[in-house]
Amino acid sequence: MKSFFAITFCVLVLLSVVAWQIKPDPPPGKIPLVWVSDDNPARRQQIALFNQLHPEYDLRLDPRASTAGIEKVMLQSLAGVGPDLADAFSPSDLDAFVRSGVAWDITEELAERGVDLEGEVWPAILPTGIREDRVYGFPANVAVDAIWINKDLFDAAGEPYPEGPWTWDEFLEVAERLNVRDARGRIKQFGFLCDWWQWPQFIMLFGGHIYSEDGTRCVIDGPEATEAIQFMRDLMYEHHVMPTPVDEATMATQGGWGSGTITYFGAGKGAMALGGRWWLCTLRDYEGLNLGVVEIPHVKEPRYRAYGRATVINRYSPRREEALDFLVYEAGKDYNDLINRQADAVAAVVRYNYTPEFLRNPEHPEEDYNEVWRDVVKYGRSDDWSSFVNGQTAMRILNKQLDLIKSDQKPVPKAMRDAAREVNEEIAKTLEMDPSLRIQYYRLTGRERPE
Amino acid sequence: MSAFPRERSGRHLAFSGWWYRRGRFTASHVLLVLMAVTMLVPFMWMVLASFKPLQEVEQLNPIPSVWRFENYPNVFEQVSFARYYFNSIFIAAWVTFLQCLTSAMAAYAFARLQWRGRDTVFRLYLATLMIPGVVLMIPNYTLMVKLHLLDSYLGLIVPASFSAFGTFLLRQFMLTIPSALDEAAAIDGASPWQIFWDVIMPLSRAGLVTLGIFTFLGNYGSFFWPLILIKSEHLRTLPIGMLYFDTVYGRQTNLIMAASVMNIIPLVILFVAAQRHIVRGVQLGAVKG
Amino acid sequence: MRRQRHERRAALGFLLPNLIGFGVFTAGPVLFSLVISISNWHLHRTVAFQWVALRNFVELLQDRDFWLYSINTAYLMLGIPFAIAGSLLLAIVLSQRLRGIVVYRTLFYLPTFTSGVALMLLWKALYNPEFGALNAVINWWLDSLHLNELVRALGGGGVSAPTWLLSTKNMLGLDVEQIRIIPGQWGLGARDALIIMGIWIAIGGNNMLLYLAGVSNIPPELVEAAQLDGAGRWAIFRNVTWPQLAPTTFFIVVMSFIGGLQGGFEQARVMTLGGPAGTTTTISYYIYTKAFEEFQIGYAAALSWVLFSAIFVITMINWRLGGKELHY
Repeated sequence: MKSFFAITFCVLVLLSVVAWQIKPDPPPGKIPLVWVSDDNPARRQQIALFNQLHPEYDLRLDPRASTAGIEKVMLQSLAGVGPDLADAFSPSDLDAFVRSGVAWDITEELAERGVDLEGEVWPAILPTGIREDRVYGFPANVAVDAIWINKDLFDAAGEPYPEGPWTWDEFLEVAERLNVRDARGRIKQFGFLCDWWQWPQFIMLFGGHIYSEDGTRCVIDGPEATEAIQFMRDLMYEHHVMPTPVDEATMATQGGWGSGTITYFGAGKGAMALGGRWWLCTLRDYEGLNLGVVEIPHVKEPRYRAYGRATVINRYSPRREEALDFLVYEAGKDYNDLINRQADAVAAVVRYNYTPEFLRNPEHPEEDYNEVWRDVVKYGRSDDWSSFVNGQTAMRILNKQLDLIKSDQKPVPKAMRDAAREVNEEIAKTLEMDPSLRIQYYRLTGRERPE
Repeated sequence: MSAFPRERSGRHLAFSGWWYRRGRFTASHVLLVLMAVTMLVPFMWMVLASFKPLQEVEQLNPIPSVWRFENYPNVFEQVSFARYYFNSIFIAAWVTFLQCLTSAMAAYAFARLQWRGRDTVFRLYLATLMIPGVVLMIPNYTLMVKLHLLDSYLGLIVPASFSAFGTFLLRQFMLTIPSALDEAAAIDGASPWQIFWDVIMPLSRAGLVTLGIFTFLGNYGSFFWPLILIKSEHLRTLPIGMLYFDTVYGRQTNLIMAASVMNIIPLVILFVAAQRHIVRGVQLGAVKG
Repeated sequence: MRRQRHERRAALGFLLPNLIGFGVFTAGPVLFSLVISISNWHLHRTVAFQWVALRNFVELLQDRDFWLYSINTAYLMLGIPFAIAGSLLLAIVLSQRLRGIVVYRTLFYLPTFTSGVALMLLWKALYNPEFGALNAVINWWLDSLHLNELVRALGGGGVSAPTWLLSTKNMLGLDVEQIRIIPGQWGLGARDALIIMGIWIAIGGNNMLLYLAGVSNIPPELVEAAQLDGAGRWAIFRNVTWPQLAPTTFFIVVMSFIGGLQGGFEQARVMTLGGPAGTTTTISYYIYTKAFEEFQIGYAAALSWVLFSAIFVITMINWRLGGKELHY
């Protein structure tokens, strides 16, 4: 018995040595930098290029799905085991980074290195990097969505390719004509595919808002926002041009990063899809896809949702000075050109989007629509956000109501009202817990809590 | 309560008398076969689906028209499945080893040695058995955060290696060993340490095997703790890896079924090999409800 | 005397590794958890730390989500009596020495033994409304019995296979956001899917093995005596088997209850993410989201203590009613 335990122990120690060896370790002599971002395959090239330009560094990616990632990153940073660089995926993400003290204020440091955020970058993406005139992160890319069209499916239906500007009514007609049903009468090819989490986009398109201008209350129950969500819901349940959750569950598709609507579109289950230029990262893998792009229909003037990542530096990182070099890289030509070539959305620095390389990528000559992508960014606006409520909590509340709408369980106006009410209650709760926020709120509204 | 269920031969079993009538006999068989089929069908579906090409998963033919054996290697290409396997087994092995060792030693202290406060402490151990895991997860997590053991092998292994339950189970086993044996050894001049290794442990083999199997099983399938502790790809265990695979890489049902099959096979083998131990272990209360 | 002191030192040596682990990872955390539950600790410090006494508990009682999720937890336990009855039946049938008993026992236990993420992904695929095996069978039945036309002819709206994990419908007609019953919600949905899966996993599992042991412990003299008195099969069951198995049944019921109160986490996390619309969120899943997705540690700790209290009460009742004979 004793010998059995002794032998087992030795074997386990041996295995531990093996486990230690196969841990991915930085090569000696280089300064390791860890960057937390999403799993987009384009990251590998972006990292390789940086390491090439800066051989003294060994930059590595720590992949994190964007949804739950931020909170964990902050937690780890505060615990001293955080990364050196982390991406914020929205203005409210940046807000969380700043308020928890994890994001390093780099206004002076970047200025010293000749990087002028406000002058160089698309205005739409500024709120993801700047808070109260202090710079915390550099935008890694900018995305403004448009409508992808599958030209082959249009040809098969005998439809001309739509061109902007166009209205939602025109859109609906085209989408309905592109629905294809199978022998049992079920739709096997939809006119339009859209991720449900694009609902903030629709709200913006119709002129609505999620939060008031100063972020002090949730106004998602306003008429424009309600109309927008009603339209989205009707696309599924009235006009039947968009798959319902049940329809989606039955579409088994190939893999590739960014599952869901992208893969359905790539597999030809839909003729049009609302998405970003970064879809190409996955779509380029689908052979024989013949694509076109058209701007999203709008109601009055064009108002599109701009989003993107901004890279912040962990204030508690022992290598934060070195990490600045990565941000400078993100401001430079090599990186921005790479972003454009890879189609990881559109480069954040404006002037690199007006180069001939951007317009016609020699590796992908069929992508003749890059101007459309660039031009829509001009109309991009950043998401609404509020510093008076935790972004994740608010999203959870809003998504819960929107889920009910998505599965047609609740009428839209009621859901919007309930959503607004619950978020405002959450704001009240947050204010109660945090005196510094109360002061800020008072300064903005003259009140201590929402009425 | 005795430690082992009394073995009974067929003729003395409760209903053997009147089951002999033909009608009853067949009814039992029908029921058993029906249940067996119900248990098997999902597993069969899983195995068959794992060999199908993706388009066929949508269709309703049970048997694949083309057998895509390459689905299995494909899983390894899409995610670091081999790594997940290694991690699960490595961590479960360490946890099992540590748990058996420390629990046996503690059980010996409770079962055989006399010391003041022994029973009170034991009752304290027992009391913690009814605490739901969730209550402990949160503080343990913050402890890992403070110790910088978040996202590490140590963080996965160490907290799981100590269980009041293992101590309880082994103490029960040890109590059934006649104390005359240790007294004899003591008279011969053996120290408690020697008695432990030479007398008690060999006789507790059944208990150790049972505890070992259930600890390994519990840790192999452990979900909550690795879920909150792990973020790095190279540390993922099988359950977390499977979840990641399902969430991120498209709805490739055939590959996911292949991964599930590979996940389950060691368990099937373990069960078939160690069946009797497992059954006996359950019947002695080896599973916490 | 010297021997006693010697034994005490030895005991310390033997006990120490386990005791330290116990203190650090079990006893300590219990106390720590109790302490945090009276604070508002939010793990990434966006809110200033404060002691809030019982406010978390008060908030909890007014939290409609908490009550909704408690109902979900209770709903998912509805399958337990069926699973237990099934286990009993199987144990009785298996306890005859028919041919191939061991094979059957192995097969029945397999779902329990292999239970985990892999199995849940399997069932998630089986419950797929279009290509899942379950609906394939149901649809085939509906088609061959022409039920759809039948119902339509009778004026109804048509019958289709349930959408299982995507549906908030349930057998009791519970509404989604409020605690009430609505006829429109009647049907088979995610919670029912989980119940069915739960029964499938548990029916041939540990409870069956416990019953097998229990049945084999029934003194045959009792059965023979009853048979000599002319008792039929059902009478024997009611007067001999069932009472003799009472302690086992009691144990099983209590354990299942305790397990049910804490359960539902893995299913929710793997198969439905607590949805649709929070209908498969149980108390443990709620604690998880509060603690590890929203990082409201104080509130989550309070929730977990409420859960613990419920379990504690049941264990106490168990002690009183069942006596300590079952534990050792």
